[in-house]
Amino acid sequence: MCGVCGIVSYGAPPDLELLRRMMGRLGHRGPDGNGYYRDRRAALGHTRLAIIDTSGGAQPLCNEDGTVWVTFNGEIFNYVELGEELRHRGHTFRTASDTEVIVHAWEEWGEECFARFNGQWAIALWDRRAERLVLSRDRLGVRPLFFIRLPTGLLFASEVKSIFADPSVERAFDPAGLDQTFTYWSPVAPRTVFGGIEQLEPGYFAVLDAGGFRKAAYWRITFPERGHEPGQDAQENAEALRERLIEAARLRFLRSDVPVGAYLSGGLDSSVTAAIISRYTDAPLHTFSLRFSDSEFDEGHYQKQMSAMLGTEHQDIMVSPSDIADVFPDVIRHAETPILRAAPAPLFLLSKLVRENGYKVVVTGEGADEVLAGYDIFREARVRLFWSRDPGSAKRSRAAELLYPWMARSPGRMPAFARSFFGRHLDPGDPALSHRPRWDSTSVIKNMLSSDLQNEIGRADAEDVVAAMPPGSECWDPLSRGQWLEMTTLLAGYILASQGDRMLMANSVEGRFPFLDRDVVDFTNALPARHKLFGLEEKYLLKRAFADLVPDDIVHRPKQPYRAPDAASFFGADRPAWFEEVMSERAIAAAGVFEPSVVAGLLAKCTRTGGEKMSNTDNMRVLAIVSTQLTHEYFIAGGGGRAQERALPDPCVAVDLVTEDRSVP
Amino acid sequence: MNRDTVEQVLRDYNALRRPGTDPELEAVRAAVLLEDVFGVTLSDAEIDPAVVADPSAVAALVARRRGAR
Repeated sequence: MCGVCGIVSYGAPPDLELLRRMMGRLGHRGPDGNGYYRDRRAALGHTRLAIIDTSGGAQPLCNEDGTVWVTFNGEIFNYVELGEELRHRGHTFRTASDTEVIVHAWEEWGEECFARFNGQWAIALWDRRAERLVLSRDRLGVRPLFFIRLPTGLLFASEVKSIFADPSVERAFDPAGLDQTFTYWSPVAPRTVFGGIEQLEPGYFAVLDAGGFRKAAYWRITFPERGHEPGQDAQENAEALRERLIEAARLRFLRSDVPVGAYLSGGLDSSVTAAIISRYTDAPLHTFSLRFSDSEFDEGHYQKQMSAMLGTEHQDIMVSPSDIADVFPDVIRHAETPILRAAPAPLFLLSKLVRENGYKVVVTGEGADEVLAGYDIFREARVRLFWSRDPGSAKRSRAAELLYPWMARSPGRMPAFARSFFGRHLDPGDPALSHRPRWDSTSVIKNMLSSDLQNEIGRADAEDVVAAMPPGSECWDPLSRGQWLEMTTLLAGYILASQGDRMLMANSVEGRFPFLDRDVVDFTNALPARHKLFGLEEKYLLKRAFADLVPDDIVHRPKQPYRAPDAASFFGADRPAWFEEVMSERAIAAAGVFEPSVVAGLLAKCTRTGGEKMSNTDNMRVLAIVSTQLTHEYFIAGGGGRAQERALPDPCVAVDLVTEDRSVP
Repeated sequence: MNRDTVEQVLRDYNALRRPGTDPELEAVRAAVLLEDVFGVTLSDAEIDPAVVADPSAVAALVARRRGAR
């Protein structure tokens, strides 16, 4: 895990000082070293978090004759097997790093190399002879990769703040990016919330050369036609899933030259990954957990149970609402985007705990809910479909009680809730039936937008996510369509970004996610939907596959989505001083995103109650406003990330073909 | 859809059942599963504990519905 950046220039040689400033803004991603390469057309920068071949893998790194250079963030977990194959084909390696495998794989297989990689990556390759830049991003968007196309060239980086190191880059919100955020919870690649700044789509590579700029997918999220899945036997599939997950977790634990820890949330997914590591490796395991002072969110009991069972060395951090308010500005500095939940804040504190304990790699259960259908949104969709077959049926309407047990205890509230929950957007032919309620409820934020922004959104030509669903998806199981939408929107845009990479890398920690392994995802996507969501039993096959490794009460505990105390954090007695400033009428008007009078009304309402018993909608509204205001302050009105620029130590790699300076270890 | 498949699905389903659940609600839970797995629609009369727990009855109604298509 590292930071990457670079410049391709159509005119004068790339500005080395600009490159170093770009690298300086990625110092937190790579505190273990840095390096650069420059010729008359391109410059590549790298800040290193040394994990594999810590003594020999400095970057940028080149092939045997120095004609192909790479700067790389991430891991290629099958680099050992690929390296052997490439050696058999005559390639000579100077290091034991996975980075060098990328260079030789590109030489050997060209664009087809990316489909051979099993890992998480953001890669920039520069082919000097062809004057060709190639960018590539992993299949599901674990690692970020942003770029901007300018009349003078192209800039790319792991984080937007690095691109903003170029003062000629205009800094403004993109109305369509904000519109997507206030619908889907995040912008959808290639869009971001910043005008002109693009992110490479997960599963894509891009090429910039004399032929211009072009992109293509090397992998797509896809599912088989319902009823034509290759394996129909649940027991056989459970065994195959177990085999693949064990291998994925082993790869992520063992392929590291530094110790690897694990998160333990108290839920099924991280319990499975930690249990696999504990059972199938000899290494001692160190686990880390989040605790909440608010018992509504705390899962400490299950964490301790699992840790005791596995015999791990365990540490946790107790997070209070005021802790969340205190770190929230730092969270936005790293997330670089508005967020609708405070959930990234505790994860920021957790990765800090990991780093303070001397670890810089953790394995987590991220991705299981998407690939094995763990989220409530999938269960809700199934109930809505069931109910839609006869909306007048008293029996069918009771299915909602299976999702929400409180309804059975409060029959008086049930009919109104059921009507509101089931009655909207209930078109069984709608490919986005699963997601309409969420998008609908999120979109209430847009009622608070300024009229100017609403007009700009109306004029913007935003991409339609549903229209982009692949041909043939109408023959997928409805669950598969929901999974596609979830992986395309929330997983890449929020879970792996604002809750994942950004909160981990803020403290120089790499996350590794066995559930997002190439072979696991290809396998789970091909499963019959009923093996993932069996009736209303979520992650059915995972529970079946690992029933022997995880205690029964964790396997069968009701699903508890990861949540943190939200906007109430900002209305307690110890409200932070920065909150008043960024939420002032002057600041709201200056940002131009929200209508100041509407914001003032919402704040007055929340202040009156001290944040107690806030509705979900008000929670989300407050978070959206605060995070948007901070994003504006740091990246548009302010220095664009200058505050995070670090002075870098002397580079480990310094190759400047413009001045003919050359220093490579 | 043969009887063995129906029996297997009901066996897997029964393994997940928790004691003490309202039988009528449990029938709804089973109906959600059966409609999804077998691609049929049950009538209100069929969303009944006695029907959805009986492999023979389920196999018969699945065959009926599929035959009627």
